[in-house]
Amino acid sequence: MRAVAVGQAELKLFWRNRTALFNSLLLPLLLAPVLYSVDADGVPLVVGLIGFALLMAVYYNLVTTFVARREELVLKRLRVGELTDPEILAGAALPSVVVALGQIVLYCVVVAVITGVELPARPWFLLLGVLGGVAVFVLLAAASSAFTRTVEMAQVTSLPVLMACLFGSGMVFPLSVLPDTLAKVLQYLPLTPVLDLLRAGWADGPVLKPLIVLAVWIGLGTYAVQRYFRWDPRR
Amino acid sequence: MTAIEVRGLTRRYSGGFEAVRGVSFEVERGEMFALLGTNGAGKTSTVEVVEGLSRPAEGTVRVLGHDPFAERSSVRPRMGVMLQEGGFPPDLTVSEAARMWAGTLTSPRPVEEALTLVDLVHRASVRVKQLSGGERRRLDLALALLGKPEVLFLDEPTTGLDPESRRNTWELIRSLLRDGVTVLLTTHYLEEAQALADRLAIMHRGRIVAQGTVSEVVDAYPSRISFVPPAGVSLPVVADAEPSGRVTVRTNDLQSTLHELLVWAHHNGVELSGLDARSASLEEAFLAIAEEAA
Repeated sequence: MRAVAVGQAELKLFWRNRTALFNSLLLPLLLAPVLYSVDADGVPLVVGLIGFALLMAVYYNLVTTFVARREELVLKRLRVGELTDPEILAGAALPSVVVALGQIVLYCVVVAVITGVELPARPWFLLLGVLGGVAVFVLLAAASSAFTRTVEMAQVTSLPVLMACLFGSGMVFPLSVLPDTLAKVLQYLPLTPVLDLLRAGWADGPVLKPLIVLAVWIGLGTYAVQRYFRWDPRR
Repeated sequence: MTAIEVRGLTRRYSGGFEAVRGVSFEVERGEMFALLGTNGAGKTSTVEVVEGLSRPAEGTVRVLGHDPFAERSSVRPRMGVMLQEGGFPPDLTVSEAARMWAGTLTSPRPVEEALTLVDLVHRASVRVKQLSGGERRRLDLALALLGKPEVLFLDEPTTGLDPESRRNTWELIRSLLRDGVTVLLTTHYLEEAQALADRLAIMHRGRIVAQGTVSEVVDAYPSRISFVPPAGVSLPVVADAEPSGRVTVRTNDLQSTLHELLVWAHHNGVELSGLDARSASLEEAFLAIAEEAA
């Protein structure tokens, strides 16, 4: 895999970037007590933390990474090399994805130890949710970067996806407390089906509809990246 | 054998602006071909299509017999590109950036060897953001050479280099040419093209307006003799006068015109102060073309 060479370089850059380290590694530690105080049960806590890892470590980090590499003309340089376009994107995304997956494993273990939640009964749904979630948020990050001129602007342009998913996907509070119509609409947010699949890994729950919604988001994300992704800065 | 073949290339941007309008040229294996032109002439727009970064609106491009856009994977391993503006992550060191690039290549040369070629070994552990502009250009050149390319694209390779680094880069390019590498150069340093290129083309507003060897292009333009004559004398030759008093004589036969002028000056005891006689240079040809076309 030639993209790994780019991924290794990106991993070095990740360790040298304090903002990225803080957002990915420390922010979840601040969130955990909030989630724990809302619902001391293990499953909502671990599901919420996984959702947060997808939003911050994958989505937000990658919006800034893609914008930074584009504005530094790194993407343009890579594009005259041997790598294909998907390989370049995968290479740039690699460390964020690895860091997020590492965190997710850690959360599962730590939450299981603290709350004594049982092992997931259907781990394949958990796996599907995590992998699908990673795919969706890598694609959405690449698409969002097209509408972000500078790294600083990423704080603003990532807000719609971040806020909608944080409060509208049943992560901080369950959707059942909301009016029915609103809850129905929020099922179609990109993070909601991911969290549904995660819950279905531990307990029974519908999986067909979340799988379809997730697949549609992956399709939309792929289309948006092909259509809008920018390899060099707007001049 | 032809390394690069461009036929009737037209490139249009999304706004409808035609940056390149029907450009054709060929570059033989082991040859250096230079594209010259004023800013905005379409050099970089042309080269980007030849590199396979975008598809031509009209016309065909072949690099080593392949379409560089549609058959990217068969062409890229055999070519090296130095963009006019390319970047590396500022927080990587020089050797980390080079190792990353080497990891993406089919058959890279050792990183140390590439850095030696551009004289950057002593800066290997320095972060990219701490490099000078000229050092960054040399790092870019090192990466272009990492894949041992058969065809090398150099877009303004010596911009920002000090005179010594520029000479060293020229020497490096000459040695690559001796090894049989084909080079497509764009530059706005005319002396660079004159020193290195086997053949060249001058572009203006998206078209090639002159093409050939340096002497073929230059021979079409007159030589110049200039001096400041004493006030009030009438000259034996046609001359253009500047407000400063300096006059310029343009001639296609420098030797006999100069002879005629000197004999006349000698007989009449006229001093031609600041006398300067020169054959047409690439610079003169270039300026004349830019003026004609304007």
